[in-house]
Amino acid sequence: MSWVLQRIDDRLIHGQVLIAWGSRLAPARIYVVDDGVAATPWERDLFREAAPGIEVRVTTVAEAAAAHGTEATADGAAFLLVRDLATARRLVEAGATPGDWNVGGLHYAPGKDKVNDYVYLDAADRADARALTAAGATLVVQDVPSTRPQTLAALDPTTAP
Amino acid sequence: MSAPEGSAVRVPALIVMHADLAQALVRAAEKVVGAVEDVTRLSNEGLSRTDLEQAIEERVRDWPHGGLLLTDFWGGSCHTSGAAAARRHGEVLIVTGVNLPLLLDYLHNRERMGAAELAERLQQKGRDSIRVQRCEPV
Repeated sequence: MSWVLQRIDDRLIHGQVLIAWGSRLAPARIYVVDDGVAATPWERDLFREAAPGIEVRVTTVAEAAAAHGTEATADGAAFLLVRDLATARRLVEAGATPGDWNVGGLHYAPGKDKVNDYVYLDAADRADARALTAAGATLVVQDVPSTRPQTLAALDPTTAP
Repeated sequence: MSAPEGSAVRVPALIVMHADLAQALVRAAEKVVGAVEDVTRLSNEGLSRTDLEQAIEERVRDWPHGGLLLTDFWGGSCHTSGAAAARRHGEVLIVTGVNLPLLLDYLHNRERMGAAELAERLQQKGRDSIRVQRCEPV
């Protein structure tokens, strides 16, 4: 069972993840994979307590890459959350199986172009998307289960390798 | 820093919620109690975690005696970004699961107690407001 949602979303744990995806897929564990959060005690504690009834593990990219294969065959469903394409790419380059990635929220910041209402990319993001796809990952844009999934490459052909 | 004992300092509040809920909640409160002053409203719509955190911080940084963030649900971005912004300031507490009865109770009591005591009171009031009315067929 295990990995049922690997999501790229700058909000990490939030309502869409807990309520829309969480009630549908019932994860037993949520991995928040982020070197910055893992190194910041108050932020680590905030995310650990953010999902009552679900075990939240805050890890570095290196720790998540090491645990990725074992978790893939563990009992129960698990979510994996990263804040950006760069972190997903680093995780895959560190040894995680490329797999399916849900692109759920990459919000506007200066220098980023609009792909849709909740995905904005710059040149570095596109390079990361191409590297992930070339490594065998699929990138599917879908904020909540009820919206139509579309590949990132279909919405933005410059992200295709 | 807490408000001086016995003073009538008003505990400020910022409501941070999804879509138009903060605005709608205040509008509903105004239908019940008349004009509502000094309640700031913010939507998380379209904001990244860091932008939401910054938007909240801009609104709470001028609270000399602390205040309350009122959010819709525990674990949502309004809560987690609020917690990140609030930790850099005085006595800012976050109350999640906010409903109309809780907001009305805040409006009635915000000059009678400090932020921490008021947050405890609102938690209880919010919980107590959720009840089931059984409607037996006649």
